[in-house]
Amino acid sequence: MGWRWFHQWGSPRWFYERAARWQLVSGWLALLLLTVGTLWGLGFAPVDYQQGHSYRIIYLHVPVAFLAQALYAAMAVSAVVLFVWKMKLADIGIQAMAQVGLGFTVLALVSGAIWGKPTWGTYWVWDARLTSMLILAFLYLGVIGLRSAIADPDQAGKACAILVLVGVVNLPIIKYSVEWWNTLHQPASLKLTEKPAMPASMWVPLLVNILGYYVAAAYLIFGFMRGLVLHRERRASWVREVIARD
Amino acid sequence: MIEFQFASFLAFLHMDPHGWYVWPTYGLGVLVIGGLTWQMAAGHRAVIKKIRRQIEREELHESET
Repeated sequence: MGWRWFHQWGSPRWFYERAARWQLVSGWLALLLLTVGTLWGLGFAPVDYQQGHSYRIIYLHVPVAFLAQALYAAMAVSAVVLFVWKMKLADIGIQAMAQVGLGFTVLALVSGAIWGKPTWGTYWVWDARLTSMLILAFLYLGVIGLRSAIADPDQAGKACAILVLVGVVNLPIIKYSVEWWNTLHQPASLKLTEKPAMPASMWVPLLVNILGYYVAAAYLIFGFMRGLVLHRERRASWVREVIARD
Repeated sequence: MIEFQFASFLAFLHMDPHGWYVWPTYGLGVLVIGGLTWQMAAGHRAVIKKIRRQIEREELHESET
């Protein structure tokens, strides 16, 4: 069962048809979770005794910063799958995740800068966490730029996969930057291994939003991938059947 | 018990004194996610249109030959 399921991912048609359903479910689920989590965080979570209401930016900043890194890690896994199993979908996945990942990284950087002003008194400092996140944005841009610079899709896929794998070194730097160097940025707000420092009334809506942004990212990635699959397979007979049917 | 943390809707908008930081951040969030959704849907539509045109061209070519 396990290997059969894995091999199905080698079929673009199988993915295109299933992903339509996954996209619909994830779209509505994301909308529900993000509405609940954001309204809860903005209006019903208690005020922070040190930062006041500015801390409410956490309900957007932390989920998108998590995702910016998680999507890059997922791109690296896809790059390995591309090299080992030569799966077209892995390459298409990298292309889709690069676009979504860049959006979330920019959002993490700008929301962090806005939060920095009332908290640190400045929008930007060249500290390790902020600089390594900026490098992550450039890595995403590099993958997107490299893809559009090479005409042959197979060559472009391999070149992007190599760049993604080289850039993975930046992920532990982002994660441990607040421990390895003296930074203005606070340590992680939520850890899997420890009880959160904030009360449940603050972290539960954060958890809802983290889940919501992950599901929203899945919705966007499925959507981008479906368009890319159609483009890549445009000469295949199944694509013509699908287009004629719709 | 979950309670609304503000005395009025105006106080909620003002978030004394941090509304100017909080609301633009969420506005930007809506803009980025909305922009990505639009880009995704527009890209999909453009690919379908391109393939339809290609099919039409091929059918025209076949009927001529």
